[in-house]
Amino acid sequence: MYDAVSAEELKKPVVVLVNQSFLTDARSAASSKGWPGIRIVPETVPPECTIAERREAGISAAMNDIIAALTRPLTGEEQSPVPAKVEKLPRIVFQGSLEEVNRFYYRRGWTDGLPIIPPTEEAVREMLTGTDLPADHVVAKIIPRMGKATVEKIAVNAVMAGALPTYLPVLIAGVQAVMDPKANFGTTEVSTASWVPFWIINGPIRKDLHVNMTDGVLSPGDIANAAIGRAMGLIIKNIGGARKAIEDMGIFGNPGKYTMVAAENEEASLWEPLHVEHGFQREDSTVTVSFPTAFTLAGAFTSDANGLMRGITSAITNCAGGGITIMVQPQHARTLAEGGWTKQEIKDYVYNYARIPAYRSSGYWRNWVPGRERPALNPEDPMPTVRSSDSVRIIVTGGSGLLFMVLLPSGNRWVTKKVALPANWSSLVDKYKDIVPAHVRY
Amino acid sequence: MDNQYAVLNPWAEVDPLPQHGIAPRPIDMKDKKIGLFHNDKVGAAPILSIIEAKLKEKFPTLTFSRYLRTPNISMAEMPDWLAFVEWVKGLDAVVFAIGD
Repeated sequence: MYDAVSAEELKKPVVVLVNQSFLTDARSAASSKGWPGIRIVPETVPPECTIAERREAGISAAMNDIIAALTRPLTGEEQSPVPAKVEKLPRIVFQGSLEEVNRFYYRRGWTDGLPIIPPTEEAVREMLTGTDLPADHVVAKIIPRMGKATVEKIAVNAVMAGALPTYLPVLIAGVQAVMDPKANFGTTEVSTASWVPFWIINGPIRKDLHVNMTDGVLSPGDIANAAIGRAMGLIIKNIGGARKAIEDMGIFGNPGKYTMVAAENEEASLWEPLHVEHGFQREDSTVTVSFPTAFTLAGAFTSDANGLMRGITSAITNCAGGGITIMVQPQHARTLAEGGWTKQEIKDYVYNYARIPAYRSSGYWRNWVPGRERPALNPEDPMPTVRSSDSVRIIVTGGSGLLFMVLLPSGNRWVTKKVALPANWSSLVDKYKDIVPAHVRY
Repeated sequence: MDNQYAVLNPWAEVDPLPQHGIAPRPIDMKDKKIGLFHNDKVGAAPILSIIEAKLKEKFPTLTFSRYLRTPNISMAEMPDWLAFVEWVKGLDAVVFAIGD
């Protein structure tokens, strides 16, 4: 849709075809750019349809509308659209009991479905102790709505998510990360593929915040892992305006959108950690965002280095987006490193050997698309599943276990930002350092 | 009695957005050049082929020009942005098919 806006900006009449399921999304995208009148023709061709009869039927049914959109004179509203009325909400938006607050926020579409912590003045003030930035500082404007991510708005959503003030610097860096053009967040946050922002924390802050990097790293139960991802989800929704089934058109959605946060176990790794690989100093604290859709488990064929590598490559059979993050548990990481495998050698190996027969690759079957040629391969010839060696990342994290590693098809983008800490960081960490679970034996 | 909570608004403010009127349509389709833009999703190009054929049938003097972009990246971020601009400038109207 943004390309259509670009053409209208060049003063050319535009008609956009969308499947009728995407009509609301397309209108929202046009309005978010100030072009509410762009002519959008809904049609009934199933998305990415390869069935000629259904394409023909769907377009035939829409043809009169397409011609009308190309030729019909403009209405007054299309020539001079009236600005949509923007609801002006007060800063204190509601007052009520815990239940009433939750009902109010839920009905406004401001939650993720789970109960929220009421963002009172007092709670937000405490959250703001996590940064030296002024409350009205705009960290970024978040797409698609271009909502202003002021420090206070980030803090409000952080409180709602149950975050501690010590997480605020990570959230601010997280906002900077998704709005880095390299993240292509305009697509990754709303794609039908339901990409998940996967947050990897590196550097000293991991321990300050007690971010899990060991057993069950991606499971519930750790407030930092839970609340950082959840807060970013609320920020994306309430500041960026990306709402499920309106702007976010994920076909199935993804449970990872509640939260998906891991720290790298740098101490257990003989390799350079991810943030150092991305050009930061080991003593820097950073957050990296990438956008996986799913994970799979790789069974090591044998527990030696060669068996681990064969297991990894055998499990990579469908790498949507062309990139992959390999989560290696510490024991396997040590085995590989001591076996002489560098991160780069693992990446090269994965690219060269994580291959599937051509007939199992969608790329092999797309020759019918105009302009595309079928690769000069026999059906049984190997085709790579990973775009390149540079499309692989390796982090050391997780618990113990002999056989398995977790792999995450991760789009092809990793954006790392340094976390800026406030001057009072040490005292702030001291204040919250005891907030850790103490499970009883039974 | 329940505690009462006065709570802050989490919904972000936005800067006022200038509203733009769309471009006037061609008065007729005689000898016009129509751009057909697609994003490389598998359904997009074949849809445009159908549209091209049907438009050509109804308006025989129409000519067409195609433009393909990489999926999931907007043209404004692409290195061939200027080529896209030149392509658009040479058209009378553009039909976008994004394959969804």
